[in-house]
Amino acid sequence: MEVRSRDYRERARHIIEDTPDVREAVTAATITFVENRSKAFADLDAEALSRWAEQVKSHALTHLGDYLEEAEARLVERGVHVHWAETASDVHQIFKSIVRENDVQKVVKAKSMLSEELALNPFLESCGVEVFETDLGEYIIQLLGEPPSHIVGPSIHKSLEDTRVLFHERLGTPRDASPERLAAAARDLLRGQFLTADLGVSGGNFLVAETGSIALIENEGNIRLSTSVPRIHVALVGIEKVLPRWTDLPTFLQITSKSATGQPVGTFVSIIQGPGGAAGGEPDGPEEVHVVLVDNGRTRLLADPEVWEALRCVRCGACLNICPVYRQTGGHAYGYVYSGPIGAITNPGLVGLEETWPLPFASTACGACKDVCPVRIPIPDLLHVWRRRAVERGLTSPEEASVLRLWASAATRARLFGWAENLAALVPDWALRRLPMLREWTAGREPPRAAGQTFRERWDEGIE
Amino acid sequence: MRVSLFVTCLGDRFFADAAADAVRLLRSLDVDVDFPPNQTCCGQPAWNAGHVPEALDMATHTAAVFADSDYVVLPSGSCTAMLRHTYPRLLDSPELAERSYELAEFIVDVLKVIEIGRGLEGRQIAYHHGCHALRELGVEQQPVRLLESAGARVVPWEMDQECCGFGGLFSVKTPEVSVAMADRKLDTLPDVQTVVSADGGCLLQLEGRARRRRMPIRFRSLASTLWEARRGST
Amino acid sequence: MSGDARARILGRVREANRDREPVSHPGPLPEAAEPPARFGDPSRADRVGAFEDRLRAAGGEVVRLVDEDEARQWLKEFASGFESASVCAGVPEAFQPAIPAAPPSGAMLGVSAAVGAAAQTGSLLLSSREGRRPQLLPPVHLVWVQAQDVRLTLEEALDTCRQDLPAVLALHSGPSKSADIGQILVTGVHGPGRIVAAIVGGGRER
Repeated sequence: MEVRSRDYRERARHIIEDTPDVREAVTAATITFVENRSKAFADLDAEALSRWAEQVKSHALTHLGDYLEEAEARLVERGVHVHWAETASDVHQIFKSIVRENDVQKVVKAKSMLSEELALNPFLESCGVEVFETDLGEYIIQLLGEPPSHIVGPSIHKSLEDTRVLFHERLGTPRDASPERLAAAARDLLRGQFLTADLGVSGGNFLVAETGSIALIENEGNIRLSTSVPRIHVALVGIEKVLPRWTDLPTFLQITSKSATGQPVGTFVSIIQGPGGAAGGEPDGPEEVHVVLVDNGRTRLLADPEVWEALRCVRCGACLNICPVYRQTGGHAYGYVYSGPIGAITNPGLVGLEETWPLPFASTACGACKDVCPVRIPIPDLLHVWRRRAVERGLTSPEEASVLRLWASAATRARLFGWAENLAALVPDWALRRLPMLREWTAGREPPRAAGQTFRERWDEGIE
Repeated sequence: MRVSLFVTCLGDRFFADAAADAVRLLRSLDVDVDFPPNQTCCGQPAWNAGHVPEALDMATHTAAVFADSDYVVLPSGSCTAMLRHTYPRLLDSPELAERSYELAEFIVDVLKVIEIGRGLEGRQIAYHHGCHALRELGVEQQPVRLLESAGARVVPWEMDQECCGFGGLFSVKTPEVSVAMADRKLDTLPDVQTVVSADGGCLLQLEGRARRRRMPIRFRSLASTLWEARRGST
Repeated sequence: MSGDARARILGRVREANRDREPVSHPGPLPEAAEPPARFGDPSRADRVGAFEDRLRAAGGEVVRLVDEDEARQWLKEFASGFESASVCAGVPEAFQPAIPAAPPSGAMLGVSAAVGAAAQTGSLLLSSREGRRPQLLPPVHLVWVQAQDVRLTLEEALDTCRQDLPAVLALHSGPSKSADIGQILVTGVHGPGRIVAAIVGGGRER
């Protein structure tokens, strides 16, 4: 996926001013997620749980080499083909071979944010393969040609009305179709694709090293179908998805589900060890299972002593849901695969700060995200690291740097500071609406009213 | 007991009344207040914007200014958070942090006072919790308890803990999103006449937007509201 | 080739961790942090009752049957509402509906035998060894569970399967659902829109 994060401010402005329905839809959806998450954790010691989960994930990451090798060994024992891919291009080559060797014409796809990083769909299509997104939200945005707007609910920026119009045009449903009717239309169309696809692609929520298990969580059943019906299943798994032990899995399944949607667990969980069918001695299931272990910038993040903790992420979306900044625009403003707070700290590590530097500033550092992260990623601290680096690398505005240097000079000389304050009070109204930074304030807000005297003047006179 | 007041840069210029009220309030609670004259800015705007050397200069200056104070009291949640949460890392010393308090926090947690008067009898107030005070300092119930014990009704407000959108320079670097956030706060306000907050930045943001939208709501600093409570007035 | 990629990735991973303080595994979840196993009416002390409450809350249906005889009777009545069924391999004869068989993609009812269940999450544990398609394709899914196989926690339930894992061990905890259309909940999107857990044995505590 192309990186457009440098345009954050402009994209955000466009969404807020030109498509106000998006802000409404995203706000309503995220508020519901937040309420449901809150209920799910109400009778839990969320802090004890998150401390445990943080430690499991940090342990996995600090021993990642060993666990990746263990996972690979278990998978290979079960007859799974394990591939390693450093870049999107590597993944493309792997798929090219599988497609060619098996004469793959049609692919059904379950939701995978990693596959967005890798631009998999366009590549498969360029090989002449038909690709069907099967998650309902992903299917909707596939029809629209848009990227996902949220980690868990890719189409939360689209209203019922939007979907009615879309399905009427593309699937021929009645213009006033009920949600059930719309879902049924998508189901019927995609059902046919499941049954005739040659290959199913999934992501991976967790990779359990001890047993070589890929765990996938969902509500619709499209992951179960994509990974069960076609003859070949390929799972794309970021190397950071490792969980050390089988006994870690039940808790992570539950905290991820609760954090994402407030459910005790997602409706369907697939815990996959290997192929089925004749290869696995079972009545059905894929004859071939491939796991692609993907780097794509993760080792760069892991090597970064100040931000590696971002890799603990379980992709629950809780930070997106609570973020008051995300809520105003949805995910498209962020310009890359991951949006919201986790996007702001991960994207710079995956694709570089030069391409993504506005994202850590797309935040007021309010800290709400840190409170809800089930693995205690210190998001505000990591945002600050990237901000500091953006300044150090000269990516931020030189005017801002000058203003702050001046400010610091004045602030370390009390008398000078006092004069500067008095000068500032003399700035006329017309200037407030013209000068850079000040005019950004007055575009939407009345300027602050300065009191007649400063406090220090009053103090000098004596306070009764 | 003697405290030093850190008025903060916003406070000095835009909330002089509030700071004066803070002084009166503390004195009325038998606390001596001094005002080290060389104080300027805690450095938070620079820190938040990623300008660490500038923030360090201001932090060093501020630490020197308050070196001899037993307590430093601030009529600002976010500046207190800067001193408590960030200075220990920036200056490699926890020392100033241990002596610094937000005003309501100081009254309740150090002076151990809840009942300061009944001057807010019958008042309906919406309280905006500034993010830094709430999440970095854990100051949540102190302001509310003080207001309620003074007779005010702090009206339930679903979005009272959601960020107002100020965020320092964020307000002018990403103004469209900042204003949208202020609008969400204002659009979800319960039916009150006054909104109170312990943070100058939040007050400028919310009041600035409310006035632009011609909303007939009053915005008041916590310090002035608490002084009103103490003094008793109609 | 993939082999070189493997060496380079593992090399970078190990290099990244070389000077880092390793974090140890915390061991089992502290009891205080365990998500509550009981749900619904706290006076209901039994695992099966807790499972029932949880699955129902998620939109699933549950029927309690004292023994095989009662199960047969109930099944006869229940199955009469369906034209055809696709039955998983290994479902005991007593629990197979006496209605015409159809392939999974055409049957109206799919019938499974769970290898376990967990009250904590309201989950039925299903093995791919019995065949997956009847679990997924028909719009209604009937799952037989032995009361003694219902565990309190998900951890216990998964533990019983640990030593002999099938190609896929699946947890089904309710009917298929989605809120992707304007945040409105619809069921039966891809998987079965109706799931019925028939629990046999275990007496009937109330």
